[in-house]
Amino acid sequence: MFQIDFGRDGEIVCSGRLDAAQCEKAQSFLDSVDGMRVVDFSKLEYISSAGLGVLLKTQKRLSENGYKLKIINVNNHIHDVFRYSGFHVIFEIEATQR
Amino acid sequence: MLSGLNSHLPAEIGKRCQMHKKFLRSYESLEAIYEFTEKILASRDVAQSVRFPVHFAMEELFTNMVKYNPDNSNDILLDVETDDNGITVSLTDFDVDAFDVTTSREVDINAPLEQRKVGGLGLHLIQKMVDTLKYEYSDRQSTVTFTKASGQDHVSD
Repeated sequence: MFQIDFGRDGEIVCSGRLDAAQCEKAQSFLDSVDGMRVVDFSKLEYISSAGLGVLLKTQKRLSENGYKLKIINVNNHIHDVFRYSGFHVIFEIEATQR
Repeated sequence: MLSGLNSHLPAEIGKRCQMHKKFLRSYESLEAIYEFTEKILASRDVAQSVRFPVHFAMEELFTNMVKYNPDNSNDILLDVETDDNGITVSLTDFDVDAFDVTTSREVDINAPLEQRKVGGLGLHLIQKMVDTLKYEYSDRQSTVTFTKASGQDHVSD
């Protein structure tokens, strides 16, 4: 089960598994946000390449107005997916605090 | 949730366990595929660091089959086998044109944001995350097989 919503401080909180079947839900939510945004992945267990596409599309849209997503609390496995994709070059990413 | 078709209970011989099941050609099958695979991996105490790339590769290969043959009415066969050495997964698609997923994918992972395009990362990532990847095509039947060793992890801990 994938969930996406705003946290108490206005951050975007994702939880569960972001697979291809959940991308429409994620994209619909992210299409509605603007400005500099923090995305908390502390409860996100999994992301596929389809999920990466959602993040990339959002980052490209926000960057047109000088904004961007910052992704925090990324688990080791998702962090490696980001690294293999070169997403560490185009996103500000903070791994899970150990 | 869509359930798989033609389910078979685990066949356990010694320390080897094998399960196979057919799934509807739909992204909506992904949850059922995850649950089916997780059940066998959990029963064998497979480490999370190994489960993640297995689930990842499975989804990428399955969604590729759905994406490139959306009008095909055949279900997709998934076969998962574990033994002391690790996990072997095969996905078989029936009555399709050949599409070799093992050919190298040119991806510039250092490209700046403005040059990035959505899509095209899945097969590149699979090739990074699994130990072996094999493609077979015969009689309009495509079979992709990958392996991931137990206790060995391309993903850092």
